[in-house]
Amino acid sequence: MIKRIFWTITATAAVGVVGFGVYAYKPAMDPVAAQDRPAFGPEVVEQGRILAAAGYCSECHTTADGAPYAGNYAMETGFGTIYASNLTPAMDTGIGAYSVEAFRRAMKEGVDIDGRHLFPAFPYDHFAKMSDEDVDAIYAYIMTEVVPVEQETRENELPFPLNQRFLQAGWKLLFVDFDEYAFDDTQSEDWNRGAYLAEGVAHCGACHTPRNPVGAEIASDQYGGAQIDGWTAPALTADNASAVPWSTADFKSYLTDGVSTYHGISAGPMGPVVHAGIRELPDEDINALSVYLGERTGGNEDDPATSTAIVSTLERGRPDPQYRRDAGERLYATACASCHYNTAQIEAGRPDLGINSATNLDTPENLIHVILDGVSGPEGIEGVVMPGFRDALSTTEITAIAAYLRDARAGQPAWPDLSETVSRMAESAAHAE
Amino acid sequence: MANLLSRLRDSNAAQSENNTAGSDLSRRGFLVAATAAGAAFGFPLAGYAAMDPAAADGVPVSPTGETFEPSMWYWIDSDGIVNVNIIRAEMGQHVGTAIARILADELEVAWENVRITHVDTAEKWGTMVTGGSWSIWQSWPVYRKAGAAGRTALIEAAAEMWGVDPSTCQARNGTVTDGTNEVTYAALVAEGLQRSFTEDELNALPLKPHEELRLVGKDVTALDIDTKTNGQAIYGLDASVDGMVYAVPMIPPTRLGSSVISVDDSSAQDVKGYLQTLTLNDPSGTVPGWVVVLGDSLMAAKRASERVVVEWQAGENAGVNEDDINARSRELIADDSYGSILPADNTDTSAAFSDAADVFEAEYTTQTVLHFQLEPANATVFQNEDGIWEIHTGNQWQSLILPTLSAALEAPADQIVMRTYMLGGGFGRRLNGDYAIPAALASKALGGKPVKLMFMREDDAKFDSPRSPSVQQLRMAFDGENAVTGMDHNAAAGWPTQVMVPSFMPKGVNDEPYDPFAIDGADHWYNVGAHRVRAISNDLANATFRPGWLRSVGPGWTNFAVESFMDEAAHKVGMDPLDFRLGQLTATGMNAGSAPNAVGGASRQANVLQRVADMANYGRTDLPADTAIGIATTFGQSRSMPTWVGGAVQLHVNRDTGYIDVQKMWLSFDCGTVVDPDGALAQCQGAALWGLSMALYEGTRFEDGNVVDRNLGTYTPLRMIDTPEMEIEFVESTEVPVGLGEPGTTVIAPAIANAIYNAVGSRIRSLPITPDDVLASLAQ
Amino acid sequence: MINFEINGKAVSIDAEPDTPLLWAIRDEVGLTGTKFGCGIGMCGACTVHVGGRATRSCITPISAVEGTSVTTIEGLAVEDNHPVQEAWRNLRVPQCGYCQSGQIMQAAALLEDIPAPTDDDIDAVMTGNLCRCMTYPRIREAVRQAATAMTEGGRNNG
Repeated sequence: MIKRIFWTITATAAVGVVGFGVYAYKPAMDPVAAQDRPAFGPEVVEQGRILAAAGYCSECHTTADGAPYAGNYAMETGFGTIYASNLTPAMDTGIGAYSVEAFRRAMKEGVDIDGRHLFPAFPYDHFAKMSDEDVDAIYAYIMTEVVPVEQETRENELPFPLNQRFLQAGWKLLFVDFDEYAFDDTQSEDWNRGAYLAEGVAHCGACHTPRNPVGAEIASDQYGGAQIDGWTAPALTADNASAVPWSTADFKSYLTDGVSTYHGISAGPMGPVVHAGIRELPDEDINALSVYLGERTGGNEDDPATSTAIVSTLERGRPDPQYRRDAGERLYATACASCHYNTAQIEAGRPDLGINSATNLDTPENLIHVILDGVSGPEGIEGVVMPGFRDALSTTEITAIAAYLRDARAGQPAWPDLSETVSRMAESAAHAE
Repeated sequence: MANLLSRLRDSNAAQSENNTAGSDLSRRGFLVAATAAGAAFGFPLAGYAAMDPAAADGVPVSPTGETFEPSMWYWIDSDGIVNVNIIRAEMGQHVGTAIARILADELEVAWENVRITHVDTAEKWGTMVTGGSWSIWQSWPVYRKAGAAGRTALIEAAAEMWGVDPSTCQARNGTVTDGTNEVTYAALVAEGLQRSFTEDELNALPLKPHEELRLVGKDVTALDIDTKTNGQAIYGLDASVDGMVYAVPMIPPTRLGSSVISVDDSSAQDVKGYLQTLTLNDPSGTVPGWVVVLGDSLMAAKRASERVVVEWQAGENAGVNEDDINARSRELIADDSYGSILPADNTDTSAAFSDAADVFEAEYTTQTVLHFQLEPANATVFQNEDGIWEIHTGNQWQSLILPTLSAALEAPADQIVMRTYMLGGGFGRRLNGDYAIPAALASKALGGKPVKLMFMREDDAKFDSPRSPSVQQLRMAFDGENAVTGMDHNAAAGWPTQVMVPSFMPKGVNDEPYDPFAIDGADHWYNVGAHRVRAISNDLANATFRPGWLRSVGPGWTNFAVESFMDEAAHKVGMDPLDFRLGQLTATGMNAGSAPNAVGGASRQANVLQRVADMANYGRTDLPADTAIGIATTFGQSRSMPTWVGGAVQLHVNRDTGYIDVQKMWLSFDCGTVVDPDGALAQCQGAALWGLSMALYEGTRFEDGNVVDRNLGTYTPLRMIDTPEMEIEFVESTEVPVGLGEPGTTVIAPAIANAIYNAVGSRIRSLPITPDDVLASLAQ
Repeated sequence: MINFEINGKAVSIDAEPDTPLLWAIRDEVGLTGTKFGCGIGMCGACTVHVGGRATRSCITPISAVEGTSVTTIEGLAVEDNHPVQEAWRNLRVPQCGYCQSGQIMQAAALLEDIPAPTDDDIDAVMTGNLCRCMTYPRIREAVRQAATAMTEGGRNNG
């Protein structure tokens, strides 16, 4: 999910001025009265509901206390704040006047009904991959099911010239491929369906693909892993840092229940992606996504239960009578091990921190986030929580635990600047969710 | 106040060696008129101030129909239910169960008909204190006589009814029979039984012979167990009064002598539920410089307190560190004019040392230790509609804090009543009831409105009365034959009894008072020739913090010194430490012991030592490398009520990491009659593990006038994984039952130090013993 | 207003979202069997079940438990006869009893995941629960006894 915007003025400066105005110009489209909208069958509306969820549209278009899709969710950027627009079918302040064509253009070209270029915080570069049929279904859902709420979208707080929308056209010219998803004959039906969903509506790459200096996804490093909202979105490629390779079954469980026994849970920005989103897809779609992602990460389908990684992490996790030697180990034994301990096999509800993604990533932020603020009921395994230690442990103590896990449990080289990172994150307020 | 002091002196006398156990209670408290108990009550809410630990709501059982009250210690009702009044606090010893059983046994009633009531603080109950491992020892004669009185009265009533000689009747299981007729206690009570005994009659009552004891020494389920497995047991923290507000303290920089310069609560104003901030005015002088923040919920008070800014003038010892306190101890030890000399057959050791062929000396130190009772200190206080101040809290020494509460509240003693809740751990912390004072002062400032004051954990640690750090220097004189001719023991520490209840201190042979709870144990039962034990109060410690009584008190550190030293001295003269000790436990002179509490004297200590050596197979030569057994022996808490203890610990020392792997602990106890076998075992298990915890894992230090470790991030008591296998035995005995809450603690640290020496040759003379200490010692 | 279930009953708590679950349970709902020990999640006295898993309630904000199902010692078993509670009574584990609600809740959760725990397993999982009376030998034995009872008798509680 994109909650930041990824562009800079340099993007537009690079574009030639001559001819640009012609390219950048998009006409306004005619408004449609509510009663003139076509009627939609219930199957189409339902398909739209599922796709809107799978694109977690409401996450960015709803404020904490606001009406669904009514906009004004604030996305903090390094340059200022952008407010998400009102997606309810309200005639004046929402998208009630959009025809299906206007909606398609917004979704797939990033241009609103008045012909204004949308900022790429809105991932139209992914939605461009979607079929018209799917986009139209989302339109049907919004127009039918979403309650219209007249609420003015707040003015973005961006300085000149970043607030000049026409400059966005240059960015599009350089970085966006507006073609729909193309079927790959060398791959299976499932794989293709998964790819279509991942690259399109689910816009996985928006978080998991690194971006170039002007904020565009680097196509050659698709799913290579990236930073988002102070978290690490792990690589969804063979470079994935997990101790146990992801399999199709792991992705299925993760995308359905928010947990993969051998990797961890969906927390932070990924929490709502699963819980308010992708899990709404039908089983065959989740399966297709899992096939696709499983293959992207290496296609390992062995049962990991008896793998060396599992056997050795269980061994490293055995209680050690000398646990007082190291402060991190001692604190872990008293504050963490009652849940994070496994014996003959790993239980999904007892995440093993030796093989967990959070301890195996090159960056410690994901682990520190969870130690500081825990996991709430709607994240991870639904209805299960982990307490947060922000007010309970000192930064020295949290650093010690993280260092112990990284070294003695994950067997990975020490994270550089761990203690500074912990201090910085402990000082900033709890993440605003 | 005068009344209290006289009571305290009575108690003090009761525990000195020349007095009969429990004489304090029997002399003063034993009211025998059947109707006396109700009349003696002064409080309209007396019923509410008592508590039944077996009941979900804590409300004591009410009698059905008629009642017969042979003494104030119990009544029997028309259903045959026996309610036993307990003046001791329940803090895990199942004390009510043990005491009620003593009475029920002598009374001859079935256990299932017995209930217990932990009473309020009415004056008639006498000194209320739960500590010193005294409860069973002091209650034994009192409750036996009370039970015998009831049994006698019921038999006589039945005999009169049947027109037979009482001597032809016997009572069993709540029923009297003469072989022909049978009548239950319930029926007799329903008839409206009246009977009272004079003190002389009471003392003349026949007690059951030991072999006829049917409940004492048998397993019964403690009455407080069920409610401790389903969340129903009611602790001070659970106290709830309509309309109460919550308070959290803001504790000044020093325990003593701080004052408030300014309070600014402007930033707290927008905390939802914040009420106000009080600067306490304390006529009792207990909590100088305290500020209390009030809220309509605990979190409101706590969040607000994080925003209230207080400027203090700190007391003069704001810069004192642990090292300063220990340096002061050494200074005082070096000056022979300080201190009190404890009684011994011959306290003049000067000749022994001047004539000695050889002298061995060593210094031992122990660090500050926190109570860290799991329920942080708390109290709920209000003035009820009858004008009585009700103090709802857990407390081990009600009689000590009530006069202070009276001073703080500026209310007469008979206008204050305390309801003693279950204690979420005592361990001596709640002997000092000072934590009730700020709650009382806050309520007083609000005109008697109910205030529930809670210490967050860090505050609890900061306001603890910790075990003082100690320094001890010992030396022993040997003649040319390597025979021991004299021993000096100088011990300096903060003195809890001096700072909290100085009238409780006996005087030494040089007429100087001493704190028995800071020196007991040093006055051991070994015949060492001349023996000079000098107890020294560390004035800097006393002025920096409130030294506290902590489970095992003085013997927790004096025995570390004595029993480490005995091993060292044995090695010095090339003797086996077991033989060396047994050679001095000759039970002669003052160490021969005396009735009723110390029959047999040192011979019983020699017995448990030999037994534990046998249990552990001490001296075996087949243990793996760097693995060894160490032994120690103590007499528990004091010469006046010795619980003879032998301890042995087997451990392995890791030479690379310094890790001490405690593999097994053996303990042998001779505590006289065992009243509650399972409870006794539980106490000894807990005490021994507490000893292990303080030997290896627990310890903090003063820095800038306060303890540095205030929560579990850095304060690291023993946990499940640290718990070794234990084997515990009790010597069969019909002697007077003495205490078991603490004695098991005292042998462990020296046995560990001795085992480490036996394993790797390192002698460690400071507690706690850390892996770093071991490594440093090995490197020498 | 934060909504969740406690011992099967729906509750709505009107308190600041950062209020620890422990104090909501004790002071708002009025169930006092769950205790406060250290306030930093290192003694286990405050252990309850959230979604069936042992959770330290002193450092869990109520905002995190919105929509979840919480079980306290009072709701572990209808007749207070969970095999763990029965083992605790049989072996007379409690001394002062203050930590035991947390110990029992932790042990019950342990046996759900690891029905036949080894001593290592008991050490690893129960070491987070401090008992100041040091009833550890009996806790260990009671966990073993409860495990046997639950394995033999089937699990009808918790």
